[in-house]
Amino acid sequence: MAGIIGYGVYVPRYRLKQQDAAIPWGGFATGEKSVCGIDEDIISLAAEASEKAMKHAGVDPAKVGAIHIGTTSSPYVEQYVAPILAETLELRSETTMIDYCGSLNSVAMALLGCLDAIEAKRIKCGIVIGTENRATTAGSAGEASFGAAAVAFVIGTGAAIAEIEGVHTYSTLFTDRWRAVKDNFVTDYFDYRFDREYGYQKHVVEASKGLMGKLGRKNEDFTHVVLPQPDARLPGLAARDLKVKPEQLAPEIASALGDLGSCSAFVSLAGVLDKAKPGERILLVSYGSGASNAMSLVVQSQIDEKRNRVVPLEKYLGRKEYIDYTTYLKRSEAIKRAPY
Amino acid sequence: MVQPAPASPMFWRFNPEVYRLIGMKCKDCGHITYPRSKICPACGSFSVEEHKLSRRGTVHTFCINWTPPPNLEPPIVNVIVDLEGGGRYQGLITEVANPEEVKIGTKVEMVLRKVMTDRGLKIYGYKLRLLEEG
Amino acid sequence: MRGKVAVIGVGMIPFGELFEKSFQDMVQEAYINSLKSVDKGIEPKEIKAAWFGQWSGGGMIGQGALCGASLASMIGNREIPITRTENGCPTGSDAFRNACLGVASGVYDVVLALGAEKMRDKPGVESLIAAGGGGGGILGLHPSWMLGMGGPVLQALYATRQMYELGYTMEDYARVAVKNHHNGTFCPYAHYRFEVTIERVLQSYVVCWPLHLLDCCPQTDGAACAIVCRADIAKRYTDKPVYVLGSNTGLDYKDMWNKHSFIEMLSTVRAARGAFEMAGVKAEDMDFAEVHDCFTNTELMNIEDIGFCRKGEAARRLKEGEFNLDGRLPINPSGGLKAHGHPIAATGLGQLCELFWQLREEAGERQVKLKNGIGLQHNVGGDAFGVSCVNILSRAM
Repeated sequence: MAGIIGYGVYVPRYRLKQQDAAIPWGGFATGEKSVCGIDEDIISLAAEASEKAMKHAGVDPAKVGAIHIGTTSSPYVEQYVAPILAETLELRSETTMIDYCGSLNSVAMALLGCLDAIEAKRIKCGIVIGTENRATTAGSAGEASFGAAAVAFVIGTGAAIAEIEGVHTYSTLFTDRWRAVKDNFVTDYFDYRFDREYGYQKHVVEASKGLMGKLGRKNEDFTHVVLPQPDARLPGLAARDLKVKPEQLAPEIASALGDLGSCSAFVSLAGVLDKAKPGERILLVSYGSGASNAMSLVVQSQIDEKRNRVVPLEKYLGRKEYIDYTTYLKRSEAIKRAPY
Repeated sequence: MVQPAPASPMFWRFNPEVYRLIGMKCKDCGHITYPRSKICPACGSFSVEEHKLSRRGTVHTFCINWTPPPNLEPPIVNVIVDLEGGGRYQGLITEVANPEEVKIGTKVEMVLRKVMTDRGLKIYGYKLRLLEEG
Repeated sequence: MRGKVAVIGVGMIPFGELFEKSFQDMVQEAYINSLKSVDKGIEPKEIKAAWFGQWSGGGMIGQGALCGASLASMIGNREIPITRTENGCPTGSDAFRNACLGVASGVYDVVLALGAEKMRDKPGVESLIAAGGGGGGILGLHPSWMLGMGGPVLQALYATRQMYELGYTMEDYARVAVKNHHNGTFCPYAHYRFEVTIERVLQSYVVCWPLHLLDCCPQTDGAACAIVCRADIAKRYTDKPVYVLGSNTGLDYKDMWNKHSFIEMLSTVRAARGAFEMAGVKAEDMDFAEVHDCFTNTELMNIEDIGFCRKGEAARRLKEGEFNLDGRLPINPSGGLKAHGHPIAATGLGQLCELFWQLREEAGERQVKLKNGIGLQHNVGGDAFGVSCVNILSRAM
C-alpha cells in the first residue's frame, strides 16, 4: 500500500481581517484570512510547499513519476501549471504532469489519481500538490472568507510516515457552489442550510461510513478526523452527524486562514501530521460539488525520525502581517488603476 | 517597442536559467556567470562548464526605487546578491514591509514569484526574501 | 593620434526641453553653428565624411531606426559617407573618436561628428524608462533580473556601495549638484541655469534611494557638432585650432552582476588609461575636465576612476573646493550633465564644444585658468555602464 513519504505546507504571510471585507458591504464576519502577496499566486505557493515536501521526503527528483496539482484557481483554462512546478522541482520529462481543476474535491482527486498510478504499477512515487488563491469580487461572501495556501505530499511505496490503508468515494449530482466560465467569481451557497445539510454534511458522512464499512473500522478507531473547513462551523455539524467527538476533530484553522478551498482538508492534514504519533489513525475526508472522498491513514514510526525536517503549519500561522481592505482590493484586482 | 511575450523562444531558452538557476563556470579563471555563456566574459576562455547557482546569499548592494515603471508599486528594492559558493544574482526583494530592513550583508534566500503578467501569461522568476532566523 | 588630428570648429544649440524644435531643427542648427564657428570660413563641401551619433535610434521620436541617410538629408549633403554610431551614453564622444580615426588614418582631410537626441517628445516618465530600458523584458534578458532596472537604479546600486565602502554621504553627493548648478549659471547653453543648495537637493523627493531628484541629470533635448581635420592643415581654417592628443574607448561587463566592484567603473579606468597612454600625458597634466555626472555620485566615482585622485578622496577634495571653477582642477565648468543636460548622443560632443571654447579662452564668465592648455572629456554608460570614452584635447600640438 502506498503512503505519504513527506509533506510540506506554505501559507503567505499577509492577512486580512474578514470583517474589513464584510463591513463595508453591510455584512459581518469574524476571523482572518491569508492573502497572497502582490507577486504570489498558486504557482509560487505550490513551489514553496512542494520544495519543502521533497526536502522532508528526501526523495530524488529523478524518481518522481507523476506530479498532480489540484486547484480551482488556476490562471489558465487551457494550459497546465504542473510543468512549471516540474521545472522548479527538476523532474524528468517522462513524469506525468496533470492539473486537476474545477472542483473543491480536486486535490483529493489528484491524490486518488496518484494512488491509482501507483497501484497500477505505472509509477513508484508521485507528488500531489494542492494550491489555492481563489479570485474574489467586491462584496461577495468569498471576498471575506477565501484564503490562500498550498500543501504538497510525496506519495510512494517507500518508507512512509503515514500509510494509506483505504479510500472510498461518494458522489451525487448536487450543486451548491459553482463558477461558470462567464464568471470570474464563485456563486455562493444558494441556501446555506440546504447546501450544508444535503451537500457537505450528507456527502462527508456517506463517504466516511462507506470507508469504515469497507475497512471494518469504527469511529473510535480514528484519533484524528480531518474534514474540509469552509468555515468554523461545518466540520462540527458533520462530526455530530458522524457521531465523532469534538476532540477527534483536527484543530480549527478557518478563522485564522479562511476557506482554503480544495486544499483545506489537506492543509489541515499537514497540521495534524506535525503532531501525530506513530500508530494513530487519521480519517481524512474531502468534499466539493457533490463529490466526497474519504481516506484512512495510519501513522508510522518514520514520522518521528523525520520530524526535525518539517516546517510546521504552526510556524506559518504565527507568521503574519495585516493589510487593509484597499490594499486587498488592489491585489485582488477588484479595483484597477487608470492607465498612466 | 513590443516586449517579447512569455510564449516566445527567448523565454523558453531561458527556462534552465530561470527555473533551475543554471549558469556557467570558467574552467580557466573560475569566474561564475549567469545566464550561461559559451565564452567566459572575464577571460575569454572557451573552456566552460555548467554551474548551478546557490539559492542563498548576502546582499552586496541595493537601492530603493520609489519611481518604478508603471504597474509596479513603489517602493521596490533592487539588489545584487553575493551567492554562497560563488557567483552573483541580480533581482528584486519580496515580502519586506519596511525597505530599511535591507542592508549590505543581509542574508537572503531565493523564492519563486510571479514577476509580471503579459497577455494573460504569467512570468515567474526568483526573487529574494530576507532569511528568517531559526 | 597625437599630432595628426585637430578640431577647427564646433557648434551646438542651448540644451533644454525644446518643445518648439524638431529633431531636424536641432541637427540643422548645430550643424550651421559649427560651420559658422570656423574662424577663416569653411565650405560645406570641404567636409568629406561624417559620423552621426544617435542613441535612441528614433525610438523616442516615433521614427524607425535612424541611419546615415537621415543626417545626409538633414545637412543637405548626400555626396559623402556617413555612419550612424551608437555606444551608450558615450555615443557622441565615440562618434568623435571615429571621426578622428577617419582623419588620422589619412583617408579624409576634413570630417564631421554630430550628435543629437530628442528625449522630451515623450512624457518625462516614459522618457526616463526608455532611457533606462528597464520596463520589463528586454531582448536577451529575463524580467526576473531586469524588472524595475533603469538609469537611476544602476547608479543607486553604486551610490549605496560608495557610502558603505568609502564613507560617502548623501551630502557629499548633493555637493556635486551645488557645484555644477553654480557653473551652469554661467553657461548660456546649459539646460538648468539656477543655483541649488545642499538642503534643497536633500529635500527633493527620493527617486531611488540614496539618490534624490536633484541628484539626477534631467531629460534633455539637444544637438552638438564638431569639425575635425588633419592637424597639418588646420591653420588653413583657424589660427587657434585645438589638437586631439588621445581618444580611447574602454569596456567592461554588460551585466551589473558580473562587476568586480561597485565603487569603480572599469570602463572609465580603461578608457582613461588608454587615452593618457596614446596622448603621452598623465592625469596631473589636465587643467580641467568634463566628466559624466549623470548622477551626482557618478561624478565622484569618475574623478577617482580617471585618476585625478585616489579612490575615496574625491568627496573630501570637492568639499575643499579643489574641483570648483576657481579651484586647482575645475570639473564640469559647463555645469556637467547635471545642469547642462544629457541629450544622450549630443552630450559628449557638447562636452567637446566646451573643451574647444575653454582651450581657446572663449568661455567667458566660466573660463578656467589654463596652465598646460590640456583638457579631458569623459562619458560612461551603455549596458550596465560597460562602455566609456575619453578624449584629450590640447591647444598645442
